[in-house]
Amino acid sequence: MTPTYYGFLQTRFLLFTVIGLPITFGFANLYRDYMTPFAILGYLLIFGFAWDAAYKFLVTLRWDHDWPPAYQLFAGIWEGFFFWILLQTFRQSGQQLPGISELLTFSQFLLHYSTVWIFIFIGTQGPLRILFPRWRFRGGKWL
Amino acid sequence: MQQSDQSIITLTWADPVNGDQQTYSGVLPVTIGRRQDNQIPLQSSQISREHARLSWGEDGRVLLEDRGSRNGILVDGTRVEQATLGDGDSFRIRPFDLTLKLGGISAPPALRHVLIATIRWTDPENPHVNTRRLEPPIQIGRHSSCTIHLSGKQISRQHALIEQRNGDLWVINQDSRNGIYVDNKQVKEQVLRVGSVLRLGNYNLHIEKIESQNVEDVTGKRGISYEDEQTVIAFNPLDDLSNTPHTIEEPWTHIAGMNYRQVPISELHKSGLPMTETTYLAVGGGLGSFSWVDMLRIGGVPASEIISIGNRSRPYGRYRQLCRNSQIPDWERLRSNSDSCPDNMWGWPGYAVREIWQDIVKGDIPSALRTAWQIFGEPTFSETYTPRSGTVFDSIDREAQRIKWGDIWRRGYVRAIRQTDDGRYVVLYSGQEPGTEKQMYLVLATYLHLAVGYPAIRFLPDLCDYRMESEDTSRVVNAYEKHDHVYDSLQKNGGTVLVRGRGIVASRIFQRIFEVRRENTKVSVLHLMRSPTPVGNTYGRTQRSVKNHWEYQPFNWPKAAWGGDLKELLEDSTDPVRNSLLNDWGGTTTADRTDWQDIVQAGLNEGWYQRAFGKVRDVNFDPSTGKISTNIQESTYIQKESKLEADFVIDATGLESSIDDHPLLRDLATQYNLKRNPKMRLAVSNAFEVEGMRNNHRGRFYASGVATLGGPYAAVDSFLGLQYAALASVDNLVSIGAPHLRSIDGVYSLLQWIRWARGAEL
Repeated sequence: MTPTYYGFLQTRFLLFTVIGLPITFGFANLYRDYMTPFAILGYLLIFGFAWDAAYKFLVTLRWDHDWPPAYQLFAGIWEGFFFWILLQTFRQSGQQLPGISELLTFSQFLLHYSTVWIFIFIGTQGPLRILFPRWRFRGGKWL
Repeated sequence: MQQSDQSIITLTWADPVNGDQQTYSGVLPVTIGRRQDNQIPLQSSQISREHARLSWGEDGRVLLEDRGSRNGILVDGTRVEQATLGDGDSFRIRPFDLTLKLGGISAPPALRHVLIATIRWTDPENPHVNTRRLEPPIQIGRHSSCTIHLSGKQISRQHALIEQRNGDLWVINQDSRNGIYVDNKQVKEQVLRVGSVLRLGNYNLHIEKIESQNVEDVTGKRGISYEDEQTVIAFNPLDDLSNTPHTIEEPWTHIAGMNYRQVPISELHKSGLPMTETTYLAVGGGLGSFSWVDMLRIGGVPASEIISIGNRSRPYGRYRQLCRNSQIPDWERLRSNSDSCPDNMWGWPGYAVREIWQDIVKGDIPSALRTAWQIFGEPTFSETYTPRSGTVFDSIDREAQRIKWGDIWRRGYVRAIRQTDDGRYVVLYSGQEPGTEKQMYLVLATYLHLAVGYPAIRFLPDLCDYRMESEDTSRVVNAYEKHDHVYDSLQKNGGTVLVRGRGIVASRIFQRIFEVRRENTKVSVLHLMRSPTPVGNTYGRTQRSVKNHWEYQPFNWPKAAWGGDLKELLEDSTDPVRNSLLNDWGGTTTADRTDWQDIVQAGLNEGWYQRAFGKVRDVNFDPSTGKISTNIQESTYIQKESKLEADFVIDATGLESSIDDHPLLRDLATQYNLKRNPKMRLAVSNAFEVEGMRNNHRGRFYASGVATLGGPYAAVDSFLGLQYAALASVDNLVSIGAPHLRSIDGVYSLLQWIRWARGAEL
């Protein structure tokens, strides 16, 4: 991928909605909690818009101005890690992140998050181009 | 003051993107820099506004001084503050290599009529009055490469451009946010007169004076040097690739009314030549045409509405020939991305995914994993994946079958293209239908696409001289012509090869020689380069890597030039800025392949690979030794051999892309006075339309490929670039309601992809 900032944003928004939401619905059923998985997805989406600005900066440090799949993986690990640390920080100070159940375990989060991430990753590697043939020429913008 | 001939110097350099020789000839002192008011303005962000100065030193030598530049001047690979240069010495101001000659150039200079504007303005922040005398084009804006560099929030990066149109100076608004005002009236473009006040943001620029001057057109700004014509060998139009020089044929302008600017339809009928009418016509018949036709077919156009004319039955015919000549057989890998698939406009599944799949089917799991890791980590953690050339050709065969290319393609050599008086285009070509005599044909079309590829093989001037004088086309060869006899002879008899150039082709030639060395160890290589390359190009916050004087980049442009922020930037830039960006991103590079680096390293260690730097004085055959000797200009700075002896010389410096070397393109450009881009190729819009060919609100004319190098898209001569150009022009056709065509998007795109995946014929 060779994303522009708006390309990062638009791709994230599209994939979180089209792929993230149905998968999260599945996890909501599985965990019998119709709030927490959606809240997680929402937090990750909103934090992601800020991370995307950072990623765009990193892109300009690379000669090819590209964003290889390996970097997508690092970014995915970092975003999940950041969210979990934030959640723990809240919990240690005796609070909860609004919308996140205090019963959410790390393994539940990991399973949900990595499933969503993997399908989103696959989405960026191919299928998106089939619906939006100009996506790859427009730095990840589809609008 | 009267100048004697003695005091004239000539500087020559090659355009880093297309290799065109450029020349400046004039009196000293001269300054070199990014700003347009230097005598030698060079476009690159790596060059400082006033970078260097040349003046007369002692003993008739020339003093070169750094004017406090950021990136400095390199002489023999070393950064210098100042240096004394003699005739034939060269220096590098990245990304340009300049060579000094004492004295003028031999051809009589043409006179050029230019307007020089004196512009005065006051900086609103500090009351300093600026007055500059400038020659158009004058770029005004906030970007540091602008000739008039203004600051402030109301000034856009490239705000306005002043250019000369015939006898007038015009100012043109360059999509600036706050617009431009001339004499308090907001304008898009406007003639400037003495006394005009041009307002941009809170700057007022006063046109104080406009002087008219006749200058000698030898500054190289027009890009073509006088020796240029002798250094190319045009592709023979009949067998495509010829290794003997031949004269470039003139187009057949004397029949069927081809001498008209807009040919009357009645003239075509009168000619009695067989004529076909069609809606869409692709001239070239190569990969550019194929990509366009593929896009049209997927967009819904029936095969019966499209004709393509070319002289190879397979769209990759000439490309494959060039690959094979330059030692890339079908099993070797190209320098192309996994998802640059001429057979698949979506780029998915790419060649890597298909290769992984085939490996899994064959049970070769390690190979599948290796490929997967490549596309996952490239280019940082793993070597960039590239497909085998044969795989690409096979896939094109399948797609050609699917879109009925066989029904669309006609064998022929296009002689001329003209507008018609009913708003269409007519193409005159010579062809041969089965069982008939060779003859001329006419095709009439409403929408035309032109993609004819590289016009010629280019030789270095000294090698071209040698070939012309000696008629020896066997010892001195170009990497792109058939030269297998060189490797056969080396394998049998051993010997020394001198290789010129350090691009991707040179890399592949070294690999081939390395393979020969396995059979015969008495083979050695001399690698002659113009000057050392200690560091790579810089752009923004990044720098291209260099190892052993080779500059590395996965593809011939930074990846984002195909579809990322760099592509967007180039599209939105004005011509002078595009020129600068292309100079920074382009240049001679090779792929970062470890096997190639290992070959160079092994050669250096074992002593069979030697490097030399210098300017070649001449090349000749020495009958006493039976070898080709290359005489190198002695350098003041480094002691080096002045004579290199070799059995063969391989010129691996590239192909010629000038449209003036292509009879068809040259004829079109002259006949319709077509606008050129800053690299002197065909100017096209962002939709790849040649706007000067638009005919009467009906016919549309598009071009793609290397003829458009220097325009809105950098990677025009790549698989993916051809597909992008095809998509952009087909989208443009959809927007004007071209028949049978619909936008390839969303569900329609998905359905078409499913048809592709099933191999369903269209």
